[in-house]
Amino acid sequence: MFQEKNQVLWNENISGSYYKIGLTCNKGYSDAHPGQFITLRFGDDIARLLRRPFSIHRLITKDDCIKGIELLYKVVGTCTQKLSSYKKGNIIDLLGPLGNGFVIPDNVRRIFIVAGGIGVAPMFFLASSIQKTGIDLSECQVFIGGRSKHDILCKDDFLSMGITADITTDDGSAGKKGLITVPLESEIKKNRPDIIYACGPPAMLNAVAQIAEKYATPCQISIETIMACGMGACLGCAVESKTDPDKYLHVCKNGPVFDSGLLRI
Amino acid sequence: MKHIDLQTDIGKIKLKNPVITASGTFGYGREFEELIDLNRLGAIIVKGLSLKPAKGNPPPRIVETSCGMLNAIGLENIGIEAFIKQKLPFLEQLSTPTLVNIYGKSVEEYADLAARIDEVEGIAGIEINISCPNVKTGGIAFGVDPESAAEVVRAVRTRTTKPLMVKLSPNVTDITEIARSAEDAGADSLSLINTITGMAIDIETRHPKLANITGGLSGPAIKPVALRMVWQVAQTVKIPVIGIGGIMKAEDALEFLIAGAVAVQVGTANFVNPCSTIEITEGIEAFLAERKISSVRDIIGTLEV
Ligand SMILES: Cc1cc2nc3c(=O)[nH]c(=O)nc-3n(C[C@H](O)[C@H](O)[C@H](O)COP(=O)(O)OP(=O)(O)OC[C@H]3O[C@@H](n4cnc5c(N)ncnc54)[C@H](O)[C@@H]3O)c2cc1C
Ligand SMILES: Cc1cc2nc3c(=O)[nH]c(=O)nc-3n(C[C@H](O)[C@H](O)[C@H](O)COP(=O)(O)O)c2cc1C
Ligand code: FES
Repeated sequence: MFQEKNQVLWNENISGSYYKIGLTCNKGYSDAHPGQFITLRFGDDIARLLRRPFSIHRLITKDDCIKGIELLYKVVGTCTQKLSSYKKGNIIDLLGPLGNGFVIPDNVRRIFIVAGGIGVAPMFFLASSIQKTGIDLSECQVFIGGRSKHDILCKDDFLSMGITADITTDDGSAGKKGLITVPLESEIKKNRPDIIYACGPPAMLNAVAQIAEKYATPCQISIETIMACGMGACLGCAVESKTDPDKYLHVCKNGPVFDSGLLRI
Repeated sequence: MKHIDLQTDIGKIKLKNPVITASGTFGYGREFEELIDLNRLGAIIVKGLSLKPAKGNPPPRIVETSCGMLNAIGLENIGIEAFIKQKLPFLEQLSTPTLVNIYGKSVEEYADLAARIDEVEGIAGIEINISCPNVKTGGIAFGVDPESAAEVVRAVRTRTTKPLMVKLSPNVTDITEIARSAEDAGADSLSLINTITGMAIDIETRHPKLANITGGLSGPAIKPVALRMVWQVAQTVKIPVIGIGGIMKAEDALEFLIAGAVAVQVGTANFVNPCSTIEITEGIEAFLAERKISSVRDIIGTLEV
C-alpha cells in the first residue's frame, strides 16, 4: 500500500460518460492483483471530503516494468466529473493497491467473465492476468451487459485477446436485447466453466451468484460499497456475511472480491 | 532551524508531540503501518472496545455530507480480550503510547473493562467514551446527563489507577456542566468533541441514507462547534483538555491549542489523507519555528480576548 502524488498521463473520453485515465505510479504496483482498487483524493476541496475508489483497469508497462496504472471510470457525480477535467501532467493523490483481488486457482481452464456496465473496469486486468498464467483464452468467454451500446465497453480488447464475447443491452442497441444472465446461463448449460468471475450492479451479481449456485460452479464477484478509508480503519464498508451471522465482512479489506457464496447481496 | 520542543503532557502521560489519532478513525493502529511512521505520533487511541466483540450497525453505515461525513458504525469491535492478545503486542513495541477507548452498555461493563485494562502494562491510559451516539442501549445516556457521566467515571476510577481521559459528547445543552461533573468524579483529562448527531435523506427514495437513520457528524463541518466547546471547557476545568473535531491541517490544530487544548486528536482527516497526523505535526513545528516560539507549550491557552 502506497500513497503517492502521481501525474496524469492521459485522460480520454471513450464512449458516452466513460473515460480512461492513465496515471504514473512509482512503486508497488508490480504486485497488484486484478480486482484490487486504488483511491483518489480530489484536491484540497473539503466540501467533498472523501477519497473515491476505482478498480485498476490495466497496468501500464514498458520493457516489462510497470510505469503506471489505467482506470476506466464513469462520470456519475461531483468527483468523477472533476476527474474528467484532469489534463495530462496534472497531479493527483493516489492510494493503493488496496483490497483483495480475484484468485485464479491452478486447475481452472475454462473461465467465464461477466461484466455489467462500468463493472468491466477490473475485468480487463483480470483477463490479462489469466493470459499470463498460460491458460488458453480461446476456452474462455466474456459476457458484457449494458443499458445501451454506449455502455458496452472493452469488447474489442477481449476479442483481440482471443476471448469470445456475448453482448446484451437493455434496449437492444448492441448485441441481444435482454439481460446478460440469459446468454450466460445458456452457455453454462452447453459447456460448464470451471469458474465464473463477475463485476457489475448488485442485481446482476445476485443473479450471477444464483446461477453459479444452481450449476455448482465456483464464482467470485467484485462488489461496491460506499467507503471512507478504503484500508480497514473506519469499518464503514460492512456487508452481511452468509456464513457468520455474528460478523460483518468489510469490502475494502476482505474484498472487494468475494466468493459469491460468502455474501448476502 | 532551532530545535522546537513539541512535547506536551496529559497529566502523567508524556507525549512527544500533541497530535493523537482519534478513536475509530485509525483502526487498531497497524492499518497505517505501511503509510506512516507510527513512532512519530503523539499517541494512538484505538477503536472503541467493549467487553465482548460487537457486530455493529447494519449498512449503509457512512454517508458523505457537505464538508464532513455521517457515520453509524455502531461501535463494531473485536472485544477487549482479542485486542489484548492480537493487537496490543504490535502497539507495545512502538515508542508511541497507546490509549484504549472503551464503552459499555452499563456502569458495570465500563468498570469491568477498566479492571481488565488495569492488569495490562502496555496500555498508557483509558479514554472513556460516554458519548457515542450510535448504540441505542448505552453510550448516549451516560454522556448527556452529568450524574450518569459521573457515575461511570467514579466506577471506572475505583477499578484502575491508569490515567482516565473522559470523552465528552457535544449533544448536550451545556457541555461545561458534564465536564465539571467528570472532573469531580476523578477524570484525569477530558477529550472533546465526539460526533454531533445528524441525519441525511435520499429525496428520491425518501429513505434515510443511513440504515441506523441517524449518525454522527465529523470532519471540517464540526470544527467551529468543537472549538467553541473546547474553549468553554478549558476555562471551566483544571485538568488537561484534548481538542477534537474537524482537524485537517496544522492551522486547525493550532486553533485548538490556542483555545486551551494541551493536545489534539485527528479523526476523519486520516481517511482523507492517511499522512494527516504527520503533516499536522510538521506544520505545527514550522509555525512555531517561523515565529521563534521554542515550545508548543508556550502557545497552549494563549487566546487573547
Ligand atoms: C471497490 C470499488 C471499485 C470501484 N471501481 C470503479 C471503477 O473502476 N470505475 C468507476 O467508474 N467507478 C468505480 N467505483 C465507483 C466509484 O467509486 C463511484 O462512482 C464514485 O465514488 C462516485 O463519486 P462521485 O463524486 O462522482 O459521485 P457522488 O457525487 O458521490 O455520487 C453520485 C451518484 O453516484 C452514486 N455513487 C456514489 N458512490 C458510489 C459507489 N461507490 N458505487 C455506486 N454508486 C455510487 C451515488 O449514490 C450518487 O447517486 C468503484 C467503487 C468501489 C467501492
Ligand atoms: C468512522 C468513525 C468511527 C468512530 N468511532 C469512534 C469510537 O469507536 N469511539 C469514539 O470515542 N469515537 C469514535 N469516533 C469519533 C471520533 O473519534 C472523533 O471524536 C470525531 O470523529 C470528531 O473528530 P473528526 O472531526 O476529526 O473526525 C468515530 C468517528 C468516525 C468518523
Ligand atoms: S472503507 Fe474504511 S474500513 Fe472499509
